[in-house]
This record gives sequence, C-alpha cells and structure tokens, in this order.
Amino acid sequence: MNLFQPEPRGAHTPRPTLRSDEPQGEVEKGSMALLEVENLSVTYAPRDAPVTRAVQDVSFRIREGEFVGLLGESGCGKSTLGNGILRLLSPPARISGGRVVLDGVDLTGADEERLRGLRWTNLSTVFQSSMNSLNPVLRIEAQFAETFAAHRVGEEVGARVVELLRMVSLDPGVLRAYPHELSGGMRQRVALALALALRPRLVLLDEPTTGLDVVVQRNILDRLATLRHELGFAVLFISHDLGTVLEMADRVMVMYAGEIVEDRPAPDLVREAQHPYTRGLLGSYADPRSAEVRVSYIPGRPPDLSVEQPGCRFTPRCPYAEDACGQRRPELRPDDGGLVRCLVAQDGRLPRTPAGAGPGLPVFVGFPAAAGLDRSADPPPEQAVGDPVLLVDDVTKRYTTRRGLRTTSVDAVRGVSLALRPGRVTALVGQSGSGKTTIARLVTGVERPTSGQVRFTAADSTTEVRVDRLRGRALRDYRRHVQMIFQDPFSALNPTRTVGYALSRPLVNYHGLRGPAVRERAAELLESVGLAPAGQFLDKLPHQLSGGQRQRVVTARALAPEPEILIADEPVSMLDVSIRAEILELLGKLVRTRRLAMLYITHDLLSARLLADEVLVLNHGDLVEQGPTLEVVGAARDDYTRLLLDSIPNPFSAARRPG
Amino acid sequence: MSTPVPAVRAPGADTEAVQVATRVLGRGTRLPGWFVILWRNGKCRLGLLMLAGFVLVAIFAPVIGRYDPRDDDFDTSAGPSAAHWLGTTALGEDVFAQLVFGARTSLVVGIAAGLLCTVIGLVVGLTAGYLGGWLDEVLSFFINLGLVVPALPLMVTLAAYSPVRGLTLIILVISVTGWAYGARIKRSQIITLRTRDYITAARFAGDRTARIIAHEIVPNMTSLIVVGFMGAALGAIGGEAGLAFLGLGDPQTVSWGTMLNQASLGGALLSGQWAWLIAPGAALALLITSFTLINFGIDALSNPHLRED
Amino acid sequence: MLYFVRRFAFFVATLWAAVTLNFLIPRLQPGDPAEAIVSRLAGRNEAIDPAQVRAVRIMLGAPDGSLLEQYVQYLGAVARGDFGVSYSYFPYSVTHMIGQTLLWTVILVGVTQVISFVVGTLLGTWAAYRRNSRVDSIITLGSTFLGTLPFFWLALLLIYVFAITLRWFPERGGYGGGSTPGWSWLFVSDAIQHSVLPATALLITGPIGWIIGMRNNMVQSLGEDHARLALARGLPRRRIALTYGARLAILPNVTGFAIALGGILGGTVLVESVFNYPGMGRLLLEAVSNRDFPLMQAIFLFTTIGVLVANFLADVLYGVLDPRVRRAEST
Repeated sequence: MNLFQPEPRGAHTPRPTLRSDEPQGEVEKGSMALLEVENLSVTYAPRDAPVTRAVQDVSFRIREGEFVGLLGESGCGKSTLGNGILRLLSPPARISGGRVVLDGVDLTGADEERLRGLRWTNLSTVFQSSMNSLNPVLRIEAQFAETFAAHRVGEEVGARVVELLRMVSLDPGVLRAYPHELSGGMRQRVALALALALRPRLVLLDEPTTGLDVVVQRNILDRLATLRHELGFAVLFISHDLGTVLEMADRVMVMYAGEIVEDRPAPDLVREAQHPYTRGLLGSYADPRSAEVRVSYIPGRPPDLSVEQPGCRFTPRCPYAEDACGQRRPELRPDDGGLVRCLVAQDGRLPRTPAGAGPGLPVFVGFPAAAGLDRSADPPPEQAVGDPVLLVDDVTKRYTTRRGLRTTSVDAVRGVSLALRPGRVTALVGQSGSGKTTIARLVTGVERPTSGQVRFTAADSTTEVRVDRLRGRALRDYRRHVQMIFQDPFSALNPTRTVGYALSRPLVNYHGLRGPAVRERAAELLESVGLAPAGQFLDKLPHQLSGGQRQRVVTARALAPEPEILIADEPVSMLDVSIRAEILELLGKLVRTRRLAMLYITHDLLSARLLADEVLVLNHGDLVEQGPTLEVVGAARDDYTRLLLDSIPNPFSAARRPG
Repeated sequence: MSTPVPAVRAPGADTEAVQVATRVLGRGTRLPGWFVILWRNGKCRLGLLMLAGFVLVAIFAPVIGRYDPRDDDFDTSAGPSAAHWLGTTALGEDVFAQLVFGARTSLVVGIAAGLLCTVIGLVVGLTAGYLGGWLDEVLSFFINLGLVVPALPLMVTLAAYSPVRGLTLIILVISVTGWAYGARIKRSQIITLRTRDYITAARFAGDRTARIIAHEIVPNMTSLIVVGFMGAALGAIGGEAGLAFLGLGDPQTVSWGTMLNQASLGGALLSGQWAWLIAPGAALALLITSFTLINFGIDALSNPHLRED
Repeated sequence: MLYFVRRFAFFVATLWAAVTLNFLIPRLQPGDPAEAIVSRLAGRNEAIDPAQVRAVRIMLGAPDGSLLEQYVQYLGAVARGDFGVSYSYFPYSVTHMIGQTLLWTVILVGVTQVISFVVGTLLGTWAAYRRNSRVDSIITLGSTFLGTLPFFWLALLLIYVFAITLRWFPERGGYGGGSTPGWSWLFVSDAIQHSVLPATALLITGPIGWIIGMRNNMVQSLGEDHARLALARGLPRRRIALTYGARLAILPNVTGFAIALGGILGGTVLVESVFNYPGMGRLLLEAVSNRDFPLMQAIFLFTTIGVLVANFLADVLYGVLDPRVRRAEST
C-alpha cells in the first residue's frame, strides 16, 4: 500500500461532460444530496491472483446532515467502498468505474490540489484502529496544528482545539501526550475530535468503535450522537455491527458481496427488512433481556468475487431462491419506502415477517426448542445437574511487576469461586481486563493461583486432582480432561498443517491410535461437528476453510481426547454475525449430548444468554454477580451488570418494542 | 453482539501466509512450494539460472578450465591468447583455469558457511525465542554482542592467530562472525509464533516441546530460513573474497579473492593485464548479482509492502 | 529512564565481553600461548629464546601465574590504556602507533561516511517519494547494481583507470614522498590529492545501504494508516512525505549511522589495503603480517570499543527521537 504511487493510467476516465472544474459540475450544487455515489466499482488486481471485483456498481446519496449506516460482514467490500469515496485506495485496488460527487464536485476526477482542499473541510474520517491512525512520533497537539495549518486556519486554533477535546470529553492535557501514551478509547476520541476539527459536512466513520470495550463504545457512540445533533454534520457509518448501526443511523444500507442489497430507513429495516440477507442478519440479533430469545443463522459463505456471478449473489445461501435468481442479476429497485435488490421481494412474493420475537423464517431458525437453546421454552431439566467436575475455590491471582526499584502488584482475580458441572454451561462475562482469561489459565493449569484451590474430579473416579499443584507429566495428563476452544479460528489452526494432522495429534498422544485408525477416528470427529462428508475436509489446509468451518475443526480437535471440561474463550466473537448462532448451536448440542462441563468466556451477554445455564459477572477481578442465566440477565442486581446490559447496542429497543 | 472482528493481522502473520502460499503452489508438483513462487518471479528466475550456471561451472571445473590452476609451466604475465584465454599470472599460471576453479571455492564457502550460520542462528534463535526466561536473556546478549563486534577485524584477528589457514578455518571464522543477524531475526519471529493459539492447542493435544518446535513452528519459518541462508551465504562469499584479497585466505586454494590479491601484487595494473584484473572481480560481481536477484523474489514474497506494485 | 539504564547496562556488559574476548582469543590456541607465538615469530624449527617468551608473556598480561591472575592483570593494563610495546615498530608503544594512524582513518572514513549517509538518505527519500517512477527505478536499480560490485575490485579498477592510465591522481599512499607531515598547505593539498581515489571508492559504495534502507522503510511507513489518514486530512504531500514517511523511516537509519561511524576503524581495512593508505586498517594488516600481536590485539579492541560506544550513543539517540521506545522497552 502506498499513497505516493501514481494512480494507474486509465484507471478512471472522467466523463467529459461532468468535469469537476467545469461549470456543469456546479449545477448540481443546488440538489439535495451532499454526497452522490454513482455506479462506483472498485477492483483489486494483484499481480499473482485473479482480479476481484470488491465493489460493484454502487450508487447512493447522502443528504446534508443525514446519518447513514453501511452494514456488512467481513469481506463484503464496505471498507473498500469507504476508501474509494475518500480516494484513499492504493494499488492493487483502484476505482474501475463510476464517480463520487461531493457537494457538486466530482472527487474521482478531481486533481490532487483540488482534492486536498476539499479533504477534511468537507469530508473527514475516523479509521477503525486509532492505534495506527495517529503519527506515533508527534504529540497530539502537533497533529491538530498541522491539520489546521494545512487548511490555513490560523485564528484561535488553541481555543478551538480545547473546545474540540471538550466535545469528546477529553482533558486538554492529552495535547502534550504521544499517541502511545493514551488508551484505545482515548485515542479514538482524539481521532473523532480531529475529524471534527474543520467542521466537515460529512464524516466517514469506518468501524470507529470496533475493538473497544462495550462501555467505552457506549460512551463514544453517545458522544457522537450528541455532537451530530449539535453540529449537524452528515455521517456515513461503516460497521459490521448491526446493533450499533441500527441504533445510530437514520437510514441503513446493507452490503453483500460488493453490492448494496438493501437501503431503507432504520426503523423500517427493523420492522420489515425486504432482502432475505438482511432478514437473516436481523435474525441473528435479539435482546438478551427479552423473555424469549431466538436467533437464526445463515448457512454457507459469501461467494468468491473473482468469479463472475451471473445471478443474485446471495442465491446459494437464500431460503427463498428460485430458478430465476441464479440466472438474472436483480437491480436495486425502489420498494416500499426503500430500495431492495431481490427478484422475489420485488415481485412481492417474499413472506411477510411477524415483527417481534424473531425473523419468522422457518428455514433460518437456528435453534428449535429441542436443541435446548431456546431458554424460555426449555429450561434445563433439574435432574441433568450432576456433581461438579471442577471446583474453583476462593482463588486469587496476583501479578507482581517490577519496574526499576518499585514493585507493583495487581490482583487479576480476587476470591473467585465457581463450579463446573457435566452437561452444564457456565458463562464468565466481563470486559477486557476483568480477569476472565486469567481464570481460564488457572483452570487449565497454565498458571497457578496465588491463593485458593482448583480441584478436578474425573467422572469415573473419586480421587481429586489439585490442579493448582500440577506440573510436568501430571499436567499433561490433566489436559486430556480439559480442552480449549479458542477465540481466533485463524490463529488456532497451524496454517501449514492439514485438518487431518491437527486432529491426529490428540488421538496419537492420548489414545495411542496408530495408522488408519487415526484417520478413521478423525473423520468421525469431523462428522460429529457437522463437517460431512469428512473425507472432503481431512486433507484441507486451514486457509481453504471458512471461519465457521475452522471453528468446527477447532471444536473437533478439542473433543478428540474425550475431555470432561471444555473451555471456550470467546469462540464466536471473531466470526461473522450471520454464522455465530450456528457455532453456538453446535457447542450447546455437544455439551448436552456428551455431558461436557463448559466454561464459556465472553464479553457478550446475548451469547451467554443463549448458551449458558449459569452466568458469572466479573469486574476488575471481582465476581460481582452470579446466578442462573435468566435471573442475572433478566433481573440484574448489580450495577455493573446493568451497565453492561445497557451498553449493548440494541436495534430493537426503540424501533421494535411497539410491535 | 458487538465484538471485535479480526481487523489487522498481527506481524508474523505474513510469513505464515507465505508458507500457505508455498504449500498451495507446491502441490501437484514435486518441487517445493517456495521454489515455485521464486521461479514465477522474472528477476528471481534470472538469478536462479545464473546461480545454476555457476554451480555447473564449479562442478565441471576440470573440464572447462582445461589446465590445472596451480600449473605454473607457462609464460609469465602473458596477455590473452588462444592457449590462455585470459592470459597468465606473474607466476605463469593460467588465469582462466583459476577463474573456473575459483567458482568452486566461492560456492563451497558460501554454502558451507551459509549452512553453518543458518544452523547456529536457528539453534540459538529457537532456544532463546521459544524457551524465553533467563536463557533468552543470556543468548540475546550473545546475539547482540555478535551483532556489534566488527566482523572484518574479528575475522582478520582470528585468521591471524590460527596456525594453519585452511578453507575449513576460513569457513569457521566467517560463521563465527556471521551467525548473529539470522539468529536475531529467527528469535523475534519465534516470539511472534510462540503466542499463536495453535501452539497452545498443540500443547493441549499432548505434543512435547521438541515436536511443537519441529512440526508447528519450523514449517512456518521455512521462507525465513531460506532468506537467512541466502544472506549468510552472500556474506560468506564476500567475506572469503575479502580475506583472500587481504592475503589472509587459504594459500592452498585458488579463489577469486586470491586472484585479485595476486593481480594487485603481481603488477597486473602496471603491465596492463586487464583480463587478469577484470575477470575475477566480474565473476564475483555476477555471483553476487545472482544472489541479489534471487533475493528480489524472496523480498517480494515476505514483505507485502514491497510486493504490491 | 529505565530504557537508558538498560541500554547503559548493555553497553557495560558488551564492553566487558569484548575486553574478555580480546583476552581469550590469543589463548584459544592449544599449548602455551606465549611459546606458540614465539615459535611462530621465529619460524617453525628454530630454538625458542626464553627472553622472547618472557617478552610475549608480558604482552599477554602476566608473566606467569594462573589464567585468572593473568586476566586481572590484563584488565588493569587495559584500564590504564597500556597495551605494551609494538614488536614491529620497536621501541614505540602500541598506543603511539595507533595515535599515528588514527587521524588518517578518522578523517578519510568519517568524511565519506557522513557524505554517504546524507546522500543516501536523500536519494532514498526521493526514490520513496516518487515510488515506481523512473527516478525510483534508476536510484534503486543503480544502487543495487553498484552494490553487487566487490569493493576492493572497484578500488583496483579506479586505480587502474585514474591513477595508472589517466595519471590524474596519485596511485597509492596517504601523501607523496616529498612532503613531510604537518599542517602546511603543501602537505594538506598533497594529502587531499591522495585521498580522492579512496574517498571516491568509499563514496560509490557507501550510500547504497542508506538508499535501500531509507526507501524501503519510507515506503512502509507511507503505507501505514497514519499516513493514509494524513492524506485524508488534506495535508500537503510533501509534508506527509517528510513527517509521516521520512521522519519515521530515518529512525532505524540514524541508529545504523551511529554504528557505522563507530565502525569506521573496522571498515577501512580493505580500502586502506588497496590504496596503501596510512590508517589504522593498514596498520592492522601490517601487524598481522609482521605477527605484531600486541598491536593487532589493541587495534581490534579499539575498533570494538568504538562500535560499542557508538552503539550506546545510537540507542540513546533513538530513545530521544522515538517517544515509543522510552515506554515499551524490549531488548
């Protein structure tokens, strides 16, 4: 990626009649739209890979002061579209067609000096990772100063900067700081203040709060909403997070496989989404506090954009697909107060969905009551509760760090007790730094507690194992009983090793299997996690699998030693929303059918609500609330638990409750 | 459900991506994947062909050279002729034969010292990076020491003290002074890889440390190891030529460095024997060029910033 | 602060290690080092004169006694700056001989290093600023090509063309036979005449590393998010190139430069050998060929200490220039 790469010649041919510097361009100034994107296409043409059409024929408008959400899952082209609008694409990506008109000026055809003048005064942006978006060797004040200087804003800059920081609730003291001295949330506020510095008319926010803790995210979003009302700028808000987008935006555009598939005011979208994909996405959300929680998922994966798609790109995953869908590419057409790109919906043949509890699409419903995940309908039978296999008893873990002569100690976990029982899921909920990962490390014997005990009793034995005293070979033996499912399915499988190899290791090490028996057993494991026919997957490398499939392989590997306890550390948080429920369903089913005891670590109360029998809330190492899931989530007693619940962006709270 | 989505891949992910690419490309052929990728890069292919040429010359040196490089029965300091294409030395040896046999020395030193440096670097880097703790502190200290101690004076001093200055000693001296750079890179790479979840997973799958290093970590480092070997071999070839040129090489071995040393001492400059002067330097330059060209391919592989143009 | 303390600790530790290495190298040979050295001085099969052995023992640090005693004595001598008497330039002391040559090397290599760094950094910045343009290709391909030419060969060719064939410059040496060293105009201009070819040789190959390093670092830092955001903020391209590209890209090069300055003494062996230039590199080679071990040892130690001091200063400088390392310190 390089900015200073001259744009490839012929990358974009401005239409002669619409040259930005000619008077014709100015005519459009009178129209309502602040930003007009017309048939914008972006292609990636890497040297040694096929050409990918990341964004295809995207057209939309943003009015003055409008807050528009752009929603899509990973790889749908939403960030590429954002960079295309900002003219920040770097090779091998380039705009291959269409134009972007901001306030009557064609950005795609504008020369560099003209573009520079428009930037930040009219169109500013906040990137996802503010860690990298600020210059690490310049103090914050210098980065404000250079922004003003570049646009020749001279007067009262000092007072303006202080005012900007106040807007984002930051102390003027941060001006003297370097970026690395600030926390992630503070950096993102600085980035937001910087984006508002020149009173831009449009701010493009690309996943501005992704990666921040929910409470921090909540603060920043609230700030953003207030500022937007005060200052009246328009926003293009790009996010994968449906909850946030629906809550913040006036209008939402949904992107799938490089195309906008639906464009509709947010309340209408919640009430009655017209595209099957949007319906599926909505179905994967629910308010964890509702009496009844149902979520759905969309099986399959997005299409390969380097291959020409003749028909609708959602066809392979669509429950309503008809023969025509696979052949004729639908247009984005006006429909019922919005725009939708679906042949079936345009013909009015899409079933109406009941507003309220769920998407109401039978094919989509991920959790029938029988799977035991529809909590309200099927409370766990009491007889299923057995003796605990693992007891954590009043455990404290203190980390002591020495810095020079001074030693500081931090209690990562203070006096926590919990029990894991066969066939039951215990959720450990907390933000980053709450100590939930430390507990996982204590339970798996990676670390030893400073005080307290961790005791394990195998199902078929009565002898207790003191996990906090294990070492060497005994620890290795213990790990046969305790297995992990990791957060990042991309990091949990060795990219150079086949699925078959990954599964073979525990079988060889713990069960002493050799030869063809290993492969046979590995195939059975794959089928038990829903990867069938297994023969198709055994010789695959991880990169040939989707995120969901990888997480299934990781699960199969964890099952291989036939453990009693599964530790699942945020197993779905890195997966696309549309398939999270699919993995949760699998985990729930495994726990219940194999009578596994699961410690489910998450920061996400909805998934805890779906999967867990019991919830423990951790705050800075302290257990602040503990109890059956419905009680904790439905009627939280602790302030912190309530804060967590209130911080969850909720698409249904405002728009949907009445229905 | 609002949660982090993998946004920026951690550093080190790149080398893993390279390994994946190499595995994929390597399938269906008997060639290793990294070779296939290198071969597809034009500059790199030229470099590989040049290197192959040097290897062939070195193998068939007795046939190509026609004379024994040490045979001094010819006229002294003669210019190029049909019998002696590049003339003869001040002692009456055939320059062309020396040139051809010199390829052997350079390649042997390059491969042997390159391998030795790579092995030392791999062992030290793997141990320091994987085990960590005080062992890492100690080994890191030695790595840093090896990095800052000036190489050529150390080579000169070591060579000066040794009673017999054979090729083996030259290789050892070069390796002793040249291993640290590769060790440092491998150490930091391993520190990145060590934190991967698949390493934890392998431990939970019951694998032992040695197996984890050999089967989980090293396969993700092959391109780094190849790069390290190329760099070390290049440094070794230059180092041998330099030492030999200074008169500190193996007096029994014909090498391009000794040829230049003798050309310089034997008055090639004054007698106008340009062929004697040009040929060994040009050969050395071409060999270094072939390595540089190959490195273009490797760089483009492992550094995405340089790749995307 | 911790960062600087740690760097200083590393400096002290490496210094100790270098001094110890210097103590150990002559003792690595099998048998009695003194006798081995004397026998090599005298030639293989001659009888060993005990007086000579004794002289060598004094050089090695301790006449008799255990290795530890020798080591302690040696450390004391090093601390006093006493490196003994040179064999080949008897009765001059080693320190005197080094003092004679130090200035020649420092001036020739110091000046060319500074010029190389400045030129290399500027060319590298230019190439990165105009990435993938013709300027970039000429600079990168040109420097890559020059980088493949063996340095000593290039130097020989320079002598062949400019000294022997064209007779523009003197062939070898630091000054002509007719002039006497001193700060007279005659001598200085003569010395400059003599330094043109060695300096040219150094300047042809010197900037290459800086060019490539600077260009690649800068291309990388310009690809980072903060440079993209700077572009989105409407900062002028030149400012982005300087504060977001060059400012970050130069950091590793500054460290490298300080080390290169420290390495002056070690890096001149080849150039001084080719041009017969009266600096420390040639002195080292003379010491090697005359088997003047005290001199050789001292030069090696001097060189190493130079690099270590430079390395320490570079670390300090880096800590000042890059606010990040002061916080997150990692070795």
